[in-house]
Amino acid sequence: MRHTSSFRDPSGHVFIEDGIVKRTIFPIYFQQYKTLKASTFFDKLFEAELLIPHQELSETDEEITIQPEQIPFITYPYEWSFNQYKEAALLTLKLQKYCLQHDFSLKDASAFNVTFHKGKAVFIDTLSFDFYEENQPWRAYKQFITHFFGPLVLAHYHGAQSLKLLQNFIDGVPVKMIASMLPFRTRFNAVLYSNIHLLAKFEDKHNEDYEGKQNTSSLSKKAQLNIITVLFDFIKKLKLKEHTEWGNYYSKTNYSDSAFNEKSRLINTWVSNLKSKTLIDVGGNDGTFVRHINYKYELALVGDIDNNAVDINFETMRRNRETKILPLVLDVLNPSPSIGFQNDERDSFIKRIQKFNPEATLALALIHHISLSGNVPFEMSAQFFAAFSNYLIIEFPKREDSWVQRLLNTKGEFKEHFDFYNLEHFKATYSNWFEFIEAHHLDNSERILFLLKSKHD
Amino acid sequence: MTYLLYFDPGLGAMILQAIVAAVAGVVLFSKNLLYKIKLFLGIAKPEKEDLFDDIDVKDSNIDQHSESKE
Repeated sequence: MRHTSSFRDPSGHVFIEDGIVKRTIFPIYFQQYKTLKASTFFDKLFEAELLIPHQELSETDEEITIQPEQIPFITYPYEWSFNQYKEAALLTLKLQKYCLQHDFSLKDASAFNVTFHKGKAVFIDTLSFDFYEENQPWRAYKQFITHFFGPLVLAHYHGAQSLKLLQNFIDGVPVKMIASMLPFRTRFNAVLYSNIHLLAKFEDKHNEDYEGKQNTSSLSKKAQLNIITVLFDFIKKLKLKEHTEWGNYYSKTNYSDSAFNEKSRLINTWVSNLKSKTLIDVGGNDGTFVRHINYKYELALVGDIDNNAVDINFETMRRNRETKILPLVLDVLNPSPSIGFQNDERDSFIKRIQKFNPEATLALALIHHISLSGNVPFEMSAQFFAAFSNYLIIEFPKREDSWVQRLLNTKGEFKEHFDFYNLEHFKATYSNWFEFIEAHHLDNSERILFLLKSKHD
Repeated sequence: MTYLLYFDPGLGAMILQAIVAAVAGVVLFSKNLLYKIKLFLGIAKPEKEDLFDDIDVKDSNIDQHSESKE
């Protein structure tokens, strides 16, 4: 059956057979595919880990079927941190340069063609390579601007929240909108003026007199390479202006080093005993606790609401060349929705995490935020956790905890409304969904770490 | 040759690329010039180790080297 996200490109489509993602290629793309296959094009990209590797399964006159290396969990552009987004953009430009050197060209530059796998950005649309036609401009240029360059530049000026724009604009953020959101002074920057402000003007001007014409302009390969090189250099230097509020969270926590170590040791022991191959830390900050687990898990997702914390996690991964952690931006109170045609093109976070079905979930220093800042009742958070994982390691800060007190005090006269937030009620409610396996009071703190097992397998 | 036109590349965007490329040419030229001046004056900073690789796929570099040897 055809995958619901795979219908835009007539070259072929992705389908799922017995849970395995495969790709059908139609005769319209045979010439391109066979040319690439006969050369070293694919092999070199596989070796450089820039394109997801595939194997050919079958070949007939009607269709060719390939099977790509399976990616356990797909993250979307609006779940990437700033540097992840940057890496995906740079990867796309790098591929286009490589294509041009081999007389090919990327026919699209959608940000959804990239995801993160084994610690790096990887291109996943194997059918995006088309023949380069002499002196043709880059057909995917505008797409690159609206999917990558625009959001990144906006993030530079307005903060990482701008990277979530693709959630609303699945086909790229409108150029006019990007241009209107940029500060006036960006008009005096040659790169920003030509690639965004002028583009917005040109698109506006030619919007109405479009008669389906093509080949109305020509551009030498050298000139196209100049565009790509300048965009690459510009993006590579882009930085976020804002500073992190959670980035140095661990230096602001209200418990001692010994409690931190104790917590870390305990998590390590439990995960090792459970032999959990797959994990998710739903409020994992920069991945500190996952990184302290010695057990050789296959993949640990580390979500956090703060783009900067996810970014620190990603940078740490890059520096240490780690491959088993997948950092993502995750707001538990508003996870990514299903979007696109029929709401079926990009799956919601909940749908993807249920399918991924991590063997254990970590929820550390999170429940008081969900319950007291988000006002989510215990039965609803319990249902949430029970829906995708068998084991839950959850830290419960008691009512006496200083953070809890702080959150309660912000409630003012409604403080009593949150009387439900106490250990007895937590245990009573969660026991409807979970079996309490172990509990450990962290030294010198008002926090308890629980190991729970879901009652619904 | 059949191009697989399955999305609108934007006519404006196609025409504009000639101008963007001209600007890019100037940007690259002045960058190189500035770098050469700095190098001459001995104030060029050594490249810091970056989180990201450069634009060239490593193998394609090898490719070019072997081609030039032939």
